[in-house]
Amino acid sequence: MSRDLTTGLVCLAASLLLFVLTLDLPGPSLLVPIGPGFYPRIVLGITALLSALLVVQALLAGRRAPQRSEKSGPVPNYALVLWSFAVFGIYVALVPLLGFRVATALFVLALQWLLEPPRGMKAWGIAVAIALITSLATFHLFQDYLSVLLPRGRWTDF
Amino acid sequence: MYELLLQGLLNVLHWKYLVPLAAGTFVGIVGGALRGITNTMTVIMVLPFTFGLEPLQGLAAMIGVYVGGESGGLITSTLLGIPGKPSSIATMFDGFPMSQKGEPGRALWLGIWASFFGGLLGAIFLVGATGPLAAMALEFGPWEYFSLFVFALSMVAGLTGASITRGLLSGAIGLVVTVMGSDPVMGAPRLALGIRFLEGGIPFLPVLIGVFAFAQIMSDVEKTLRGQPDAAGAFAAPKIVVTHAKVIWEIVSRPFMLLWTSFVGVVIGVLPGIGSSAANVMAYDQAKKFSRHPERFGTGTPEGIIASEAANNSNVGGSLVTIMAFGIPGDAVTAVMLGALTIHGIQPGPLFISQQQTLSYGIFAAYILAHVLMIAMMFIGVRFFLRIVTIPKSMLFPVILVLCVVGAYALDNTMANVYVLALFGVIGYLMVKGGLPLAPLILGVVLGDQIEINLVRAIMTESNPILFLTRPISGGLILASVASVVFALWQHRRHERRTSATREEDADF
Repeated sequence: MSRDLTTGLVCLAASLLLFVLTLDLPGPSLLVPIGPGFYPRIVLGITALLSALLVVQALLAGRRAPQRSEKSGPVPNYALVLWSFAVFGIYVALVPLLGFRVATALFVLALQWLLEPPRGMKAWGIAVAIALITSLATFHLFQDYLSVLLPRGRWTDF
Repeated sequence: MYELLLQGLLNVLHWKYLVPLAAGTFVGIVGGALRGITNTMTVIMVLPFTFGLEPLQGLAAMIGVYVGGESGGLITSTLLGIPGKPSSIATMFDGFPMSQKGEPGRALWLGIWASFFGGLLGAIFLVGATGPLAAMALEFGPWEYFSLFVFALSMVAGLTGASITRGLLSGAIGLVVTVMGSDPVMGAPRLALGIRFLEGGIPFLPVLIGVFAFAQIMSDVEKTLRGQPDAAGAFAAPKIVVTHAKVIWEIVSRPFMLLWTSFVGVVIGVLPGIGSSAANVMAYDQAKKFSRHPERFGTGTPEGIIASEAANNSNVGGSLVTIMAFGIPGDAVTAVMLGALTIHGIQPGPLFISQQQTLSYGIFAAYILAHVLMIAMMFIGVRFFLRIVTIPKSMLFPVILVLCVVGAYALDNTMANVYVLALFGVIGYLMVKGGLPLAPLILGVVLGDQIEINLVRAIMTESNPILFLTRPISGGLILASVASVVFALWQHRRHERRTSATREEDADF
């Protein structure tokens, strides 16, 4: 399945689903001649139409050049992207539990290790220092000078 | 007007504004010099620091980043042949060959001084055009506003990416994001999907931060081979010797080219959605077309450096005009600025320059002074900025993502915004992989509410929809929207015919 076909089908399905949900919205009232569903239906209708157009274009292009490959060059490292998203997801989930400082230090260290594992004691020392400085400097800078209280952890109270 | 500008300059010279402006300019130059860090990402990193500041302090910092970023990229482009960001690519075409011929100082300072002069020409346009354009927009009713926003969206959809359908679809997805939550007229909840947080609508800054930061970072991560050190490596910093008067004369002795390429930059800045990378390349192309010796381009000719750098700095002036006069962000950086203003309860648009005179003339002044600061910092710190490129991305990316989280959280001290950031980070990356350009999405998210409010206002005033076409300005703008789509279609067809081989389009972050 080509890239455009996948994109078109996903967007078509999502826009149609949301369009159906707008049908439950109340209609126009005495004060306002158009209801809250009027504009969303236009927008979702246009989105569905454009998605369908993309699907048709992808199908026609596929018929014209079925052998054509999408791109060349080095294979993207999707596993690393997936892991990076996962680490970020865990970080976001841990912030309210461990607090900004602990979660941030762990996240910065983990992502550095994931992207480029430190080699040797010196490299590990730098990685740990960056993690601690990022976490503590950000927390105190924002709390003490910019009036932003970053979250403390429910588990750690820190 | 000039008294107000002078007052603005004196105001911004106060340390209260000068410090954030200088800090922003410094961070901008550093961000510009770093590979893979675009101006948008630098301004996103600076955003949380501006929340606790006064509006003008915050905006001064962001303008500093914007101006510094446009100039920072040329250091590595000219001296190392590594463009710090897309808007320095054309600078490299002649800057690096000139450096290799043994004139690194001349190459670098031609770029820096051209940025300065281009920026000042952009400032003349900014100061001169914002007021009259805003006054024109004051005459607009809801029909004209609706049509203007639709025009902006159709322009962006047509100008970004390689397919008009994908561009329009991306803009439509942006509009879908804004219909989730309460409707702007009666406040009735809609499409909240049972999630309480969504009932209040999706705030656009976490969307913008998530989409741009993750799309850029993950696109870089996917090219990373784990275990192989970042290719920044060590290098020998060249000796920079230059006679400034000679370099300045080289630039001002080509007044037509300087004016024309700065004009190209301004026009591209005014058009929403296409940023300084397009200005940089288009100005280079224009300079080559007008040159008596086009064959010298690419071999280290000064015209190539002057044209590309003058254009990407004047481009900033153009982008600031559209946001200040119409409330339409010219690019992602000005979209972040718009977000920063709305946090302080200020809505940019036609009334902005008359109701917020101190702020608007402060913006003009900050833009002019940022260029002076940029020159001063380049004098002092070029060698330091060169060292910056050795910082590996594995150290930079986690820090950037932490600042993104802080930026989203600090909007209203809630984790819900951080979840929106994470969700749109995934969506943004998937959109890039799905071939959908990001600029129309962001413009859709920024303008969605305004499009709906003006549509409803127009219909409540007069239910006849034909007024959108028969009112002269509104009709003209609708016609221009259709023309821009038709033009984009024609252009894409022509491009397809010319290039038989497919190539993946560059996402302009």
